[in-house]
Amino acid sequence: MDIRQKLIDIKNVTFEYFRRDAEGNVQDMVEALKDVSLEVTEGQFIAILGRNGSGKSTLAKHINALLFPSEGEVIVDGMSTEEEDNHLAIRQTAGMVFQNPDNQIVGNLVEEDVAFGPENLGVATADIWNRVDAALNEMGMNAFRNQSPNHLSGGQKQRVAIAGVLAMHPKCIIFDEATAMLDPQGRKNMIAVAKRLQEENGITVILITHHMDEVLAADHVFVMKSGRVAAQGTPAKIFAQKALLEDCGLCLPVFYQYMEYMRQEKILTDRMCSRIHTEQDLLACLKEAYAPGGVGDWPDKKGTADAVFADSPTDGVGKPKEGLLLNHVSYIYNKGYADERKALDDVSLHIGKGEFVAVIGHTGSGKSTLMQHLNGLYLPTEGNVYYDGQDITDSDFSMKELRQKVGLVFQYPEYQLFAETVEKDVCFGPENMDISRVEAQKRAYEAIEAVGLPDTIYDSSPLQLSGGQKRRVAMAGILAMQPEYLVLDEPTAGLDPYSAKAILQMLKDLQEKQGIGIVLVSHSMEEVAEYADRIIVMDQGRKCMDGPVWAVYNQIYRLEQLGLSVPVGNRILVTLQQMGYSVHTQISRMEDIFVELARWKSLMGKQV
Amino acid sequence: MMKDMTIGQFYNTDSVIHRLDPRVKVIFTLVYVMSLFFSRNPVLYVAAFAVLVFYIKLSKVPVSFILKGLKALGMIILFTVVINLFTVQGAKTLVEWHFIRITDAGLKSAIYLGLRLCFMIIGSSMMTYTTTPNALTDGLEKMLGWMKRIHVPVHEFAMIMAIALRFVPILVDELDKIMKAQMARGVDFKEGNLMARLKKLVPIIIPLFVSAVRRSNELALAMDARCYHGGEGRTKMKPLQYKRNDRIAYVFVIIYLAMMIAIAIHF
Repeated sequence: MDIRQKLIDIKNVTFEYFRRDAEGNVQDMVEALKDVSLEVTEGQFIAILGRNGSGKSTLAKHINALLFPSEGEVIVDGMSTEEEDNHLAIRQTAGMVFQNPDNQIVGNLVEEDVAFGPENLGVATADIWNRVDAALNEMGMNAFRNQSPNHLSGGQKQRVAIAGVLAMHPKCIIFDEATAMLDPQGRKNMIAVAKRLQEENGITVILITHHMDEVLAADHVFVMKSGRVAAQGTPAKIFAQKALLEDCGLCLPVFYQYMEYMRQEKILTDRMCSRIHTEQDLLACLKEAYAPGGVGDWPDKKGTADAVFADSPTDGVGKPKEGLLLNHVSYIYNKGYADERKALDDVSLHIGKGEFVAVIGHTGSGKSTLMQHLNGLYLPTEGNVYYDGQDITDSDFSMKELRQKVGLVFQYPEYQLFAETVEKDVCFGPENMDISRVEAQKRAYEAIEAVGLPDTIYDSSPLQLSGGQKRRVAMAGILAMQPEYLVLDEPTAGLDPYSAKAILQMLKDLQEKQGIGIVLVSHSMEEVAEYADRIIVMDQGRKCMDGPVWAVYNQIYRLEQLGLSVPVGNRILVTLQQMGYSVHTQISRMEDIFVELARWKSLMGKQV
Repeated sequence: MMKDMTIGQFYNTDSVIHRLDPRVKVIFTLVYVMSLFFSRNPVLYVAAFAVLVFYIKLSKVPVSFILKGLKALGMIILFTVVINLFTVQGAKTLVEWHFIRITDAGLKSAIYLGLRLCFMIIGSSMMTYTTTPNALTDGLEKMLGWMKRIHVPVHEFAMIMAIALRFVPILVDELDKIMKAQMARGVDFKEGNLMARLKKLVPIIIPLFVSAVRRSNELALAMDARCYHGGEGRTKMKPLQYKRNDRIAYVFVIIYLAMMIAIAIHF
């Protein structure tokens, strides 16, 4: 046993609650946690992994004395959560950062929010100022201290939340899915912050997540499944149990999957693999093994990569009769006011029937504004939008028809559900289209089936469903309008890898089987690599790349310049190409890249 | 339209008035509004106007910003003035046309009422222009602190107000998103008669309500996690403390009050 102190001791905890129907009668009893035992030593970095509904958040709330075990005991720093007198001390010892950045900030100014905890603890005024200063400095948020939290980005708000916890001088910080609503850059920063707090400030970190790439830095990982601890150990030990992880609905980091494949194909040796902890390690290892002399710049920096066109030649001449066409579209928010902002800047593009297009770019690059132009929710300040050759601002153009033909699914669409039953909610769209009730119902049933939900769900209240199911219902609500295009803003945001994959596969099926054109706004480069055929890259309101997925992803230098990450598969291919090997780079799906790697290896025939 | 509505907003700048304790400003505003009712004497109005000009000058809030706020209420002021003009009847008729009869008393009453309304609106909006909502809440909490003794949950009310202020912009954003999402499902809010339009609000109000409940649940958890347990034993980062300027300001308030009473009695 470690000589360091045991900080958290969870002993055989079971947590049950009753689920009630609308009349308040008990329907059934849910066992959210079953006989969970877990120990955390002071100063450790602990990760608790599990898919949505596995009980990981419920467990986290026990450590903070927000929930109490039905059976068993939770002891934090020697204090049992059973004693009510201990609660404040426990909450001060084990601080918590929650998932939704907005819903945990109390103060109207950043500094006042950070002061909220110390104020509750009865800290003297002068000391509150010191604590707030120190916490804001630690989080690099001092420059924002007199701003309203509403003006910050999601990642910045989470930093404020962490500062608020730090100001209470905790021994331990629990990150309860605190990265789930952030973009990849925000997520990365957040994990780095957690790691730094553990290493430099000696704070015990408990990270609750469903992203396996976030737990690489952990000392010890617990995997939760249906309320039980299914496995525990070091990340390396956990990552090796592929079958178990799949069973738990988790997904290995993409670079890890490539590494495993290359190990299996004997491209990399076991010894090399044991040294690989990040994507960079993997590429470095590959270079070391196959090009000891070193390699030059990325091909696109040298100007030898395939060209990717930023501008479609659509100057009104010979404009396509079919599909969605944006011709030199600019959009300015609050035109004429002091806070006027150009969200789209001279964007031209064409989206044909049955295409699967991904739109990528940073938060604030104009993606959302762009997608709202596709169904006329925004009308261009300059330029034109055409649907099947007709200008949507023409007086005889039916906006209602456009909204029906181009279905728009916003981010977190489940927040727009309103009817008492799933059936009624899904019928809402078709019923707005002046068709008969019977026809609307028929379309609703088809849509519910298309999103992969059973017909037993028709009469359920949307509010009672799980997060993934709610999202499907919301998508069915759009599909029931029988659109020709489906435009989706981050349809997998906040979902665990298993649910995310299922949603994306569903979209792919809609495209392949029903010929629905898909426009997917996404932050996940890996997800785009697997499912999309074409990518549009947005940056500061401008379209800066537009081409096949492989062609865009091979522009590694340019993407890095834009601050976007490149899927590791294409990095591997381009790296091999750089080293002088002849490999096909016109692919982006993992499966295809595996095949190509095997082909390359067999051609080379050389053992490492 | 909403952009022109400056009343109730905070005008962010640094001035002597901005730095005053919110309690001083609340009390001055009460005294000022009251004093306008002391008498209907021109001297009193001249004095009130002079003080207001001085107050605005000190606060560094641009006059155009204040007039914009007044303009938003222009219709209401005009309406009240016109009603007074026609209805208050005196001895001497100034204009008579068909059934309309404007008398000297009516004219006088209309002018006084108009001025009184303008002074009241400007005087009280000066308080919000120069005080952050938080400071105002704090000030009211402290001023009404004595009510805790008769078991009025003053701290809780203040906390509710502060949180409401924080979440109003978030919910406004959310409302916008929900409206767009339902428009994407074919709702046209501009179509149909009143009843049809009211019915269209259902798919907006319900998600907004659900969202507000969800947010408040999460916020309650987050507040618990940060050791919130009511006002008992709670300290403040920015406790209200009277400084030298506040005391001087109180002296001015007393002088102002005395002056207005004197004017009301002597003239």
